[in-house]
Amino acid sequence: MIDLIKQCITMSIPLVLIALAGFFSERGGVINIGLEGKTLLACFFAVAFSSRFGPGMGLCLTIVATSLVSLLHWLLTQVYRMDHIISGMAINLLAAGATSFFKFKFAPDGLDDAHSPPKMLLYALGIIAPALLWWLSHKTRFGLQHRSAGSDPDKARLLGINPQGIRFMGLIGTGVLCALAGSLLIAETPQFTDGMTSGRGYIALAALILGGWRPVNAGLACLLFGAASALQIQYNGQYIPSEAWKSLPYLVTLLAIAGFLGRNRTPAGLGKP
Amino acid sequence: MVRVFLLLAKLLIRCISSGRDFALKLYRAQRSGDLRKLFHATVLGLAGSILLVASLMVAGANPVSAISQLLTGSVGSASAISGTIREMTPLLILGVSVFLALKAGLFNIGAEGQFLVGSCFAAATMLAVGGPLGVVLGVLVGAISGGLWALPAGYIKAFRNGHEVITTIMLNNIAVNLTKWLVSGPFKGEKAVSATTATLPINSQLTPLIKIGQFELPQAVVVGILLTVGVGYWLTKTTSGYELRAAGANPTAAEFAGVKTKQVTVKAMFLSGSIAGIAGALQIAQFEHRFYDGSSVGYGFDALGVALLAGGNPYGLFASSFLFGALNKGGTSLMGLGIDKGITTMVLAIVIIIFAAIKYRQRGGQND
Repeated sequence: MIDLIKQCITMSIPLVLIALAGFFSERGGVINIGLEGKTLLACFFAVAFSSRFGPGMGLCLTIVATSLVSLLHWLLTQVYRMDHIISGMAINLLAAGATSFFKFKFAPDGLDDAHSPPKMLLYALGIIAPALLWWLSHKTRFGLQHRSAGSDPDKARLLGINPQGIRFMGLIGTGVLCALAGSLLIAETPQFTDGMTSGRGYIALAALILGGWRPVNAGLACLLFGAASALQIQYNGQYIPSEAWKSLPYLVTLLAIAGFLGRNRTPAGLGKP
Repeated sequence: MVRVFLLLAKLLIRCISSGRDFALKLYRAQRSGDLRKLFHATVLGLAGSILLVASLMVAGANPVSAISQLLTGSVGSASAISGTIREMTPLLILGVSVFLALKAGLFNIGAEGQFLVGSCFAAATMLAVGGPLGVVLGVLVGAISGGLWALPAGYIKAFRNGHEVITTIMLNNIAVNLTKWLVSGPFKGEKAVSATTATLPINSQLTPLIKIGQFELPQAVVVGILLTVGVGYWLTKTTSGYELRAAGANPTAAEFAGVKTKQVTVKAMFLSGSIAGIAGALQIAQFEHRFYDGSSVGYGFDALGVALLAGGNPYGLFASSFLFGALNKGGTSLMGLGIDKGITTMVLAIVIIIFAAIKYRQRGGQND
């Protein structure tokens, strides 16, 4: 039982961080298919920087580097006004290519314990993050402006808010949270491997949608998905084929998008300039 | 202590917001000016090339020898060209599939899943029936299963207002798990050790149409060319094709002109899925001769790039799928120089970014 709970936390906290990273961009109106790529790059940065500069400095540099990648997304979607989906896919491609290409040069070995990112700190952040984000988006000036930019950018403009500027901040938030998630994944498996995020970006996006783009609910959805994969690992195809377990999050999300589980809560300004 | 921390935090926010102000200036600057497109194409192209060359140098490779190896490995000899065509075939057919959906205003990210489902069921059919008849039935089953796999996405888009990108991503992941389960259970070959079907009998493997020395022209690529021409004709010369394009270009206007946009959306998604399924079936019959877990190496995602680069013209698909095929093939030959294949993926990503930043721009919002 203890094992199961432990497994559940290990599986779900990275998902929580990635889903909230998605919250930062999607609630501000930027469709983010690129979460997978950003997290993969964060994993790569975490190994590359932590092995050279130690855990603390490594984490900071990972956050900075991932935020810069996230700002590339801002540049493409807001300045160049590229289609959000194409830009997200392109970032995923770029991340997969670049990490695979530079892996041998910058991140050939696993991290030892002395260089591994601060695991406990990251877990603690992952646990308080949903509440923190709820506070940020409902109780602060920035949060309200951020949600208005995502709900109706044209009306937000009439109120003197610049959606592009707000989204700039939002995408920095996305970068920071992706960096935390990537560092956490590296803290658990200290070696960087190609495609090591293994679809977590998409599962997290699914959780965000299932949670109706609300931080606490998205966190709970991640916990649900984490529990499902923990059960799958624990019972490993004993009663139900493990592939069915793995499909469960996607199937539930499909039903949620189809509106069979409550009303559709997609932010109205999602993907609008 | 707390005061110092607050001061630092304020300083950090100040730094970030001055960065934001600079970025916004950039944003305003690019909103005015006539040569914007040309300028941006040049800037982005230069930035992309510098990034790629710098990447090669940092990794300790010689950019010149890498580029020449990329060329010889992809189009340098008859066997290299055959390899490129082999890589190009699934990309061309999947490109047609994504292109068709794109014309109806749909992003079919799900080509990957439809390809997998189509090839899995096609392989099972070909094995069960056998012979040339098996191939024909297999392609048919591939088309139907691929189409059915895309149908939920079309339905949810048309009648439930759910974004097709999200639903097709979900369907992709379900398809991966479903086909994995099928080939490790019901469809698994009798003597197979890993998760794979049995190999097709010789008489249901498609032979190359033309074979001169090292050069091979597979039958599947001919089917792909016919499909491209057929879809191009259908979209531009028939009523139903026109309705599909109208629904994609402006759904509201199309609705008022009497087009049943919802039905058209569902139909477009089904057709797109069927073509992706055909790609899967032909991949089995012509090249792979069996279906195994993990047999698609992201063809579906590359296909989105192929369709985007075709830029609205179906015949552009030939060029763009050839480019992608050549990069895939050449990338494999780069391994010989000790350069990771990832660099070609980076090239593709940068090409897509440059092209999309110029061609697929959004309108509306400030100043428009």
